[in-house]
Amino acid sequence: MMKKLKELERGEHLVCCHECDELSYISDPEKSGRFECPNCGHLLLRHRTGLVEKMYALSLAALILLLVTNYFPFLSFHVAGNTSHTNFFTSAIYLFEDQQFLLAIAVLMTTIIVPLIRIVLILALFAPLYYGHLPRYAPFVLRALYHSLPWGMIDVLLVGVFVSMVKLVKMGTVIPGISLWSFMALVFVIAAMQVVYNPHPIWERIDEARRRGVAV
Amino acid sequence: MRALEQGYTACSVCHQLVKLPKEKSGKYLPCPRCGEEVHARKPNSIQYTWALVIASIIFYIPANLLPMMHVVTFAGTQSDTIISGVLYFLETGSYLIAAVIFIASIVVPITKLLILIYLLISVQRKDSKSKLMKQKLYALTELIGKWSMVDVYVVALMIALVHFGAMTEIKAGEGANYFLLVVIITMIAAMQFDPRLIWDIKEKEDHGTQR
Repeated sequence: MMKKLKELERGEHLVCCHECDELSYISDPEKSGRFECPNCGHLLLRHRTGLVEKMYALSLAALILLLVTNYFPFLSFHVAGNTSHTNFFTSAIYLFEDQQFLLAIAVLMTTIIVPLIRIVLILALFAPLYYGHLPRYAPFVLRALYHSLPWGMIDVLLVGVFVSMVKLVKMGTVIPGISLWSFMALVFVIAAMQVVYNPHPIWERIDEARRRGVAV
Repeated sequence: MRALEQGYTACSVCHQLVKLPKEKSGKYLPCPRCGEEVHARKPNSIQYTWALVIASIIFYIPANLLPMMHVVTFAGTQSDTIISGVLYFLETGSYLIAAVIFIASIVVPITKLLILIYLLISVQRKDSKSKLMKQKLYALTELIGKWSMVDVYVVALMIALVHFGAMTEIKAGEGANYFLLVVIITMIAAMQFDPRLIWDIKEKEDHGTQR
């Protein structure tokens, strides 16, 4: 469902495309649907119902799944009478032990720390919103979510897990742990969060609160 | 209607329309809504992107030549580079996995670098053709960027799982570090490039569309 923008309808909502710098007017920004840039087709605004409820539910689910994923063993590997259990921390710890600091920090950041921070921030923003309260730190959270978006790579890790499982099956026995299932669910929940997430209605609420003189 | 010509720009974070000051000053201009620094165009975008692209091309050479990981057993040490890993999967018949690694570690970084070089050159030469296609290519580089990390994660997971002390051990190779740097630097390079520069180039022959 694509809403074509009525170009040059004066006195109405003016938006600037941040990809191609085209200025255009949106006749009715409150209306639900997609508003695309008339020049390059980039998505400018999107309105869908239930943003806050969906984000609250998904972020709670994601937090629980992330804790489960990192608490229980992920994969167990048997070869010649030896067994090893792994979760994501162990891979970072072994990298630190081998003096591979760059790799260790990159793996730790992109697979645990950034996703955890993002989920906690989303929860901290959408839980109060769900109960009708706009938190003071909302602009900070929205900015942090914008800047951290490219560095959460849990979906890439899923592909990495599959590849290493195929590699290891040839060397010994691989036993998937509880964590692997919760991790797969987590990847889908995070993907769903990225589809649903839309900062514009929150920015509009911040604007509205400021107009009413509330410090945000 | 171009925003810059009307004296406006969009905040990159919250997309708030911001009025630019009349005179160009190097002063810090915060977005009135979110506080992020607002630029009409990312400053020195072309130079930074070129520098990062060249840096990642340089790092890409050792990333491919040096081993990604060493498998240490009694029989000795076996080292695997990116290419030898792909060939190993091809020989053992895991075509899907071979394709995944080949695409993530070779096709994606090279495609990204080629697209960025093409965009940089076409902006510098003021080539006004097929702007929409260039915009789409830029969106593609942002989309595929992080998927090259697959090989780095495979190395990290293998190290964690195959860790039996003196018996059998997997260690990260020097190539893994360089490859990680290539992924991170190309991601930053794509972020540094300003796609609005593509649209700033004026059409050579005017089709009567006075902007």
